[in-house]
Amino acid sequence: MKKKRILCVPLDPVHDVGIKIIRNALAERGFDTELLSPDLPLEDVVQRAAQGSYDEILVSRTLGYGVAELLGRFVDLLDAAGVRSRSRVTLGGKAITAELAAELGFDRGFDEHARIEDVVAYLEGLPASSGASAVVKPKPDITAGYSYRVHDARIAAALDEIVDKLLRWTEGKSTPGTRRAQLRAGIFEERDPSRRAALLDRYLAISDPVIADAFRNGLMPKGVRVVSGEELSRLKEMLAGRHQHRPVSLRHAGDRPLFFKFLGSGCPVMDIMHAKVCERWGVDGFLLINPSWEARYEGLLEGTLTHQNDGTVTSGENIRLVRELLEPSTLLTVRAHRGLNTPETVLLAGHAGADMTKIDLVYGSLGAGTDPARLAVDGVEAIRLAAQFTMPFDIPGNDELSGVPAWKTLAGLLINVHLGTRLGARAILKPLFCYGPHIVINRLMEQTFVDYNAAKILALRSIVDCPIWPGEPIAFMTQTEDRVQSATASSFHAALGTALKVDAMTIASTDEAYSRGPICMASRIDSLQGLHESARFMGTASVAPTAAVDAMTADMQRKIADVLDRVRMAPDLPTAIAEGVLGDREDGAYPGTFGKGTVA
Amino acid sequence: MQALDAVMDGLDIETYLLCGSEQEGKDLAIRLGLELGLGQVDVMYCEFDGYGVRVRLRKYVHKPGDPYRWLVPAAEKGGPQ
Repeated sequence: MKKKRILCVPLDPVHDVGIKIIRNALAERGFDTELLSPDLPLEDVVQRAAQGSYDEILVSRTLGYGVAELLGRFVDLLDAAGVRSRSRVTLGGKAITAELAAELGFDRGFDEHARIEDVVAYLEGLPASSGASAVVKPKPDITAGYSYRVHDARIAAALDEIVDKLLRWTEGKSTPGTRRAQLRAGIFEERDPSRRAALLDRYLAISDPVIADAFRNGLMPKGVRVVSGEELSRLKEMLAGRHQHRPVSLRHAGDRPLFFKFLGSGCPVMDIMHAKVCERWGVDGFLLINPSWEARYEGLLEGTLTHQNDGTVTSGENIRLVRELLEPSTLLTVRAHRGLNTPETVLLAGHAGADMTKIDLVYGSLGAGTDPARLAVDGVEAIRLAAQFTMPFDIPGNDELSGVPAWKTLAGLLINVHLGTRLGARAILKPLFCYGPHIVINRLMEQTFVDYNAAKILALRSIVDCPIWPGEPIAFMTQTEDRVQSATASSFHAALGTALKVDAMTIASTDEAYSRGPICMASRIDSLQGLHESARFMGTASVAPTAAVDAMTADMQRKIADVLDRVRMAPDLPTAIAEGVLGDREDGAYPGTFGKGTVA
Repeated sequence: MQALDAVMDGLDIETYLLCGSEQEGKDLAIRLGLELGLGQVDVMYCEFDGYGVRVRLRKYVHKPGDPYRWLVPAAEKGGPQ
């Protein structure tokens, strides 16, 4: 088929970059193109257009004062010269809209964001694409390719002994949490209604009265209600009719790092709407965060439930709904370690099709309020369930936010990783990129934010071959309620993480530091815009730490080994946590009390 | 339907208010919300620099758990669609 002849006209005093890009792209696709120089008089352009037998005339011009009149006159001259009868005339450029182009008499208009594929489709008479990627993205596996081998012999020996002792200590022990997880599994499998009812009775007998009331009498905790069938069908209808327009990538090249956002507005419908917009902005996955009150109750609610405060209720139905409406390649992780329902949360997440979960025996006991002995038993069972569902689990080092020094937090993360490996699960390290209290008090980041954050990553990498996903979110405690400051802080930290070749990062919104209301959609986009721009700016370049990072890394590694030796000397992990080896009162860390005395 | 029905969650307003102190800036910001017909707004951020304040105000239109008006088909809401 004969390719079209196209005349490219930069109808501008100086600028012809845009039209050159279009011309080159069209030439690469085999079109017969000719490019005029800028600043030709209109009459000369019309004469060239009339002399050649062009199928298409592409005009580029930025809209400015008096330009509309000039473009209108150009179209009139083409008409008078008889060009319009054989050539289509298209206008593109900054501030140009399809409507304006039509008003001025052009056959078509493209704005500055138009994709070359759309221009080509128009020139070839094909329907325009929606801008959605035609390629089906595979679901990423953050843990793929990691051996979990511990490189440091001293640390390997300590971790082996700590995990041996922990597994011996938990052997034969149970809690209401582990028993409920078994009962839930039984309820899932049981087909006989009377036997299911009997299992549910046993489940509710070891649940908090608030949970039992909801099951038996439909009385929901304050602020919680069932999402109606009508709300759900309207949500699905709305999503079925809308698709991503011009999807964005937050990476300039390659397939790492992945970018995650928190979900947990309280309402799964709001969560999904936020998630769908974030997917378009390049987010690869989401962390579903539960309400803080859930941590205090034995037992989990059932049903598609919305909640008027922070945190989305953990139920199989809520997790399944979110999972179902995300893109198939988008990852979903469900927080499990906070509170008294850790094994059951992992079970529900696995059943509902979640991709990952979040378990940290140390932080869950020190910063998140659960009794160390209770979480040791629950956590081991939860990690076994994660292995059973082949769900990796991430381990957030958020105890650092209480004031715990980084090396103690990182030692705790490594214990979880090693425990996971022993139980057949695959863990993900989540050191913080933060300006935490211990760092502030000890002025560890006076010179730069780069070195100390980098030292954490480099120290962990020198110890174990395990994926690293800084969080949670990155730039924690550097952000204010100022929108630009917050987005900029996220962007710089993301540039550092990218340079350090981490596997993933969790990104804050620009209202993360604002604690008096829920996260808003526009604030999520703010930080994603910042990331997008920083990825483009950095491209294949890198952020490099100063020479001081080597000493910091070596010091961090030595202190981690010292902490692990101290944990190793304790009778068991819960005792080590209770005695403050992984963070003490001086550090601002207090062993939790939820579920104290419930280990049998 | 009203345009406000389409606000997914909250509405932020950012501006610079000339004033003599941070407190005056905050008071003006709250009055601005009232004058714009938004009712009580939250002052998310307010920094006084000697001449005035840069402020970020927020009005929640739909909070999690509310019945969302953007979920109601336009035909059911009436008015211009």
